[in-house]
Amino acid sequence: MDMCKNKVIKWFSAQWTGNPLFSTTLALCAIIILQTCALGFDYASFGEWWSKFCNNWIIVLRNNATTGIVSLGMAFVIISAGIDLAVGSTFVASGALFLLLLDSSGAGLLASAGLSGWTAFSIAVVLVVLFGALLGGVNGVLVADGGIPPFIVTLGTMKIYRSVTQHFMQGRSPSFPSSDFGSFSTVTIGGYMVMPIVYWLLIAAMLYVISKKTVFGTHVVAVGSNEKAAKLTGISVKAVKRMVYVMTGALVAFASVIQICRIGSMDYSNAGSGYEMDAIAAVIVGGTRMSGGRGTVIGTMLGVLIIGVMNNLLNLYGVPPFLREAFKGVIVIIAVLLQKKEATS
Amino acid sequence: MLIEFSNIYKSFGPVEVLHGVSMSVKGGQIMALLGENGAGKSTLMNILGGLLRVDSGEIFLDGSPVVMRSPNESIAHGIAFIHQELSPANDLRVYENMFLGREERKRFGFLDRAKMRQKARELLADLEIEIDEETYMRDLDASHKQIVEITRALLCEARTIIMDEPTTSLAEHEIELLFKLVRKLVAQGVGIIFISHKLNEVKDLCTDYVVLRNGYVVASGKMDEVTTEQLSEHIVGHELAQMSRTAVMHHEDEILRVEHLSRERQFSDVSFSVKSGEILGITGLLGDGRSELFRSIFGDTPDYEGQVYLDGQPFHAKSTSQAIRVGIVLVPSNRKENAIIPDLSVLYNGTLATLRRYCRLGLLRRAPQESEFLVHAADFRLKYGKLDDLVTTLSGGNQQKVVLSRWLNTNPRVLILDNPTQGVDIGAKQEIYEIIRKVASTGVAVVVLSGEGQEIIRLCERTLVMYHGQIVGELRGDDMTEQAIMKYATGLGA
Repeated sequence: MDMCKNKVIKWFSAQWTGNPLFSTTLALCAIIILQTCALGFDYASFGEWWSKFCNNWIIVLRNNATTGIVSLGMAFVIISAGIDLAVGSTFVASGALFLLLLDSSGAGLLASAGLSGWTAFSIAVVLVVLFGALLGGVNGVLVADGGIPPFIVTLGTMKIYRSVTQHFMQGRSPSFPSSDFGSFSTVTIGGYMVMPIVYWLLIAAMLYVISKKTVFGTHVVAVGSNEKAAKLTGISVKAVKRMVYVMTGALVAFASVIQICRIGSMDYSNAGSGYEMDAIAAVIVGGTRMSGGRGTVIGTMLGVLIIGVMNNLLNLYGVPPFLREAFKGVIVIIAVLLQKKEATS
Repeated sequence: MLIEFSNIYKSFGPVEVLHGVSMSVKGGQIMALLGENGAGKSTLMNILGGLLRVDSGEIFLDGSPVVMRSPNESIAHGIAFIHQELSPANDLRVYENMFLGREERKRFGFLDRAKMRQKARELLADLEIEIDEETYMRDLDASHKQIVEITRALLCEARTIIMDEPTTSLAEHEIELLFKLVRKLVAQGVGIIFISHKLNEVKDLCTDYVVLRNGYVVASGKMDEVTTEQLSEHIVGHELAQMSRTAVMHHEDEILRVEHLSRERQFSDVSFSVKSGEILGITGLLGDGRSELFRSIFGDTPDYEGQVYLDGQPFHAKSTSQAIRVGIVLVPSNRKENAIIPDLSVLYNGTLATLRRYCRLGLLRRAPQESEFLVHAADFRLKYGKLDDLVTTLSGGNQQKVVLSRWLNTNPRVLILDNPTQGVDIGAKQEIYEIIRKVASTGVAVVVLSGEGQEIIRLCERTLVMYHGQIVGELRGDDMTEQAIMKYATGLGA
């Protein structure tokens, strides 16, 4: 018995110090248990509880799909030792373009070019994603070739992208043909509206492969971990840096498409605001090192879930809305405190 | 004051670097602490300076045992450590630097500048140093910065001063200035521990010596009872003295030729060539510009003037990746800073320069990556746990082998190695020399940049000595001796 206990303790401490995702997974489990309690688990009416549980989870995942996608891009940027504060503004700028392209009130750009239906929609999505990549590319070029610290660059473009979008959209109010294209996000599978979740998981799978199985994924880690060594190894540090911002821009634009298809509109002054901080928080909670070089796609997914499920939990327990952000703050700080074990061990 | 080290042991991880070192220094002595890089000098001094803790053994100050837990405690015991690479606050004035961290204060914590200026002026006058205490630190030359650093030590009433290679970046007349000050301090009863590689200088200045080799004290005594030749043999040891030298051979095909290469303030009008199969050494003292020269050829700082020829064709690498593509590779010095990716595994660090080769449809395949790396790992007798362990879990010598395999994977034609045995023990050193000789025997042109005379002598067939950015001498085969190299390296060759 004692030996068994010792073994468990040994395994636990080895995982705790050795496996960077261990504490994150543990935290998620704890929160899920609390969530189970909040939903009033009762063995007698298991079926009823189970459907409540599933419903609740679908809602949580769906609500976090857009931030989830943004966070994945952010993770790559942070692993490369950068930061992207412009994700929220890129979100609103690409959303605005998407609406202008497909405007149903008669002046849609693609409609006037004689395109309609799902062809128009597909072209619009491609254009918007390219536009997002372009906005990200501006960040990337300024960081990589301009040599300006990423924090400063993206602080600047954060202001620029949103302000220009707001100015340009003044007096324009394109409306989204939800009845035609809303199903991109809202079509149900087995009675559940899961498309945003599906897109999120597909993107995560793709990025997982990129991070683990491609040269680019390894180069991102190398650049974030030791930029000088990476450069002397012949890695094009500039290209890697440009690419992570381009990628993030494209992902953010796609997230914007998903969001508009689901909601049918966009508020140019508020949409996407605070995304940068939510994404950074999720990335950090997911065990990514702020100074670069370490982080994973799976960790980031867990980070998004921890913050998402916790939000849901606070809601279920009836915590006053103004206090919820405080909980988020506490979680982020605890996550970083836990990461400090790495430095001491 | 008397400092005594008694039976000091110290390990870093599994590697023991000090094996029971005992020595003592008293006021009025200038103790030369001699030894090759990695002999344990810095470790011993870092212990005295409070930067490291002993594993076992004791330090006695005037007969009573002391424990130095931090640099501050060491300073409080009257010990000042003047590091090799000075880090003065260049944007502050001389007197502000002298009082940095120990500022004189008035009431409410305001700085008492008048008092600091006064004290600084008195001390400088006392030592007959002609520096205005109001000068900005950045306007001083290297020797005066060094001197300000020493006055800092005196201000906190240091009774023992450790000087770690204080003359490497100084010119001849600056060294004179420094020695004058050192002698003056010793006359006042201060004890000095003087670390240096320049034996002539040591012989001239110091009163006593201790030689460390591989963490043992191998010799000690009065300086006037020993010759520089004897010192040199103590330092190198029989092991290395018996280490074989690379046979000098005749090589035919010139691979790399460099003509009149210059880059502002780093090197000027450098011309040389290196042939297939040859091991060429480039040496000199700190600030000779050799690393900068090869960084330029390698495309890291490509804005040079002059012309590089590869196989007789003009070639100018605009980036490191371009240089690697044509077969010029540089294994940089300072492994930790310039070569190791601490967050990647042993396998990835060893294959980082050739990852594209293992891809199919853009996806990395583990099998070819592993098999290519394992060839080198076996060849180099690499000691590692698992391929997926972080590279930082390996010892210095093994990390260097991983870095070497990263570069050898690229099938280089010109292999430039900057300080290839920095921070590795003597066994690994010998292994790395063997690897380098083997690489050269396959027809690669090898260039070894090193500041260690013995390394150049053992490893290279021919060496070029640089001084202030220029090649000032060429030595071949048996002409390569430490004395000959040093003569050129200090600018006295002409």
